[in-house]
Amino acid sequence: MKFLYSPGACSLGIHVILEEIGKPFEGQRFSTRDGGTYKPDFVAMNPKSKVPTLVRDDGSVLTEFQTIAFWLARAHPEAKLIPDDLDGQTRVLEMLDYICGTIHPQGFTRQFRPANFARDEADQPRVVAQGKEMAEKYLALLAANWTGSEWLLPSGYSVADSALFFIEHWCSRVGITPPARIAEHHNAMLARPAVQRALANEAA
Amino acid sequence: MKLFYAPGACSLGIHLLLEEIGRPYEAEVLNLREGAQFKPEFTAINMKSKVPTLVRGDGSVLTEYPAIAYYLAATNPEAKLLPADPAMAAKALEFTDFAVATMHMQGFSRMFRPANFAPSEADHEAVKARGREIYEKGLAVMDKALDGRDYLCGDFSIADSALFYVCFWWVARMGQALPANVAAHYARMLARPAVARTMATEGLA
Repeated sequence: MKFLYSPGACSLGIHVILEEIGKPFEGQRFSTRDGGTYKPDFVAMNPKSKVPTLVRDDGSVLTEFQTIAFWLARAHPEAKLIPDDLDGQTRVLEMLDYICGTIHPQGFTRQFRPANFARDEADQPRVVAQGKEMAEKYLALLAANWTGSEWLLPSGYSVADSALFFIEHWCSRVGITPPARIAEHHNAMLARPAVQRALANEAA
Repeated sequence: MKLFYAPGACSLGIHLLLEEIGRPYEAEVLNLREGAQFKPEFTAINMKSKVPTLVRGDGSVLTEYPAIAYYLAATNPEAKLLPADPAMAAKALEFTDFAVATMHMQGFSRMFRPANFAPSEADHEAVKARGREIYEKGLAVMDKALDGRDYLCGDFSIADSALFYVCFWWVARMGQALPANVAAHYARMLARPAVARTMATEGLA
């Protein structure tokens, strides 16, 4: 299995999942900052030019964070990264979709890449401020409606936690102080050996 | 089971899946133009103020298009809305995520609501153009995936419902043309009785 990632990007969440599973995989680094995902060797694998991208053992390519997370969890039931029952699995998907479809692209992308939103440079600080405000609102909603205890969902630790982790990892980068519930979750994640290994791999 | 939807919104895709399943359900229109999604009656159900929202038989609420679609497919296996092979089922989710999170939320959201992206009105045309570019790149990915296939995963699946609504917006709301394979897929979708019933119910036919 080949895992295409960019250090510190949302692919960090998939990196954590692969470390949790603990089976060998080949990590390949492409930097989104220097346009690595638009180069021909990357485009040949994923024409959407996005990380995370997973090349499975049969050569087939899987894209989209939610899909990769869901597939990895289901394909490795022994790692217990998703509940067995359909309702628990649906809640995991719902959370993945909210984190990857709303919190990341609506809240954080505005802060990281304001030029993708407003062409006029003078407007970009407003885009960043709007993104920060949106991200804070989403995180407050998440904290206020927290259904789990130590982990995000009542069913226990799951791939949804690794998705929330990449968001938490970004908070300090953009100067967001997350609500207490989420800060505690971040600390619990940082204490996991798989998270420490993923961070060390990406920093190396 | 009760679906909250807005006519012609992305909830159209979930609405048609409920028609494909063919079991009784309730549907309630949420008037997004009047801001019904922000009123306390609705935020008590879905704090995210979004359609589609599904209230299940036990009163629990499910949100997010791919999660609702997956749940409906998994709880109604006889409707065959998800491929049985796990690798192919993952592909169905992948196409669904791409249609919803990229073609809709990155592409159309820029075309429909440029003010949410750029504060200056002078930039709005550029935002719309960027949205169009993102959407058209998505169409090209889908067109390639449909090469030699009737539906995205071979047989009809939840992925087709998501592709259908982003094509409906392009064709019916924007008067644009689809690439050949996607156009054939769109025609095939419109010919499905469940889709025709949904379009009629939502007043879109």
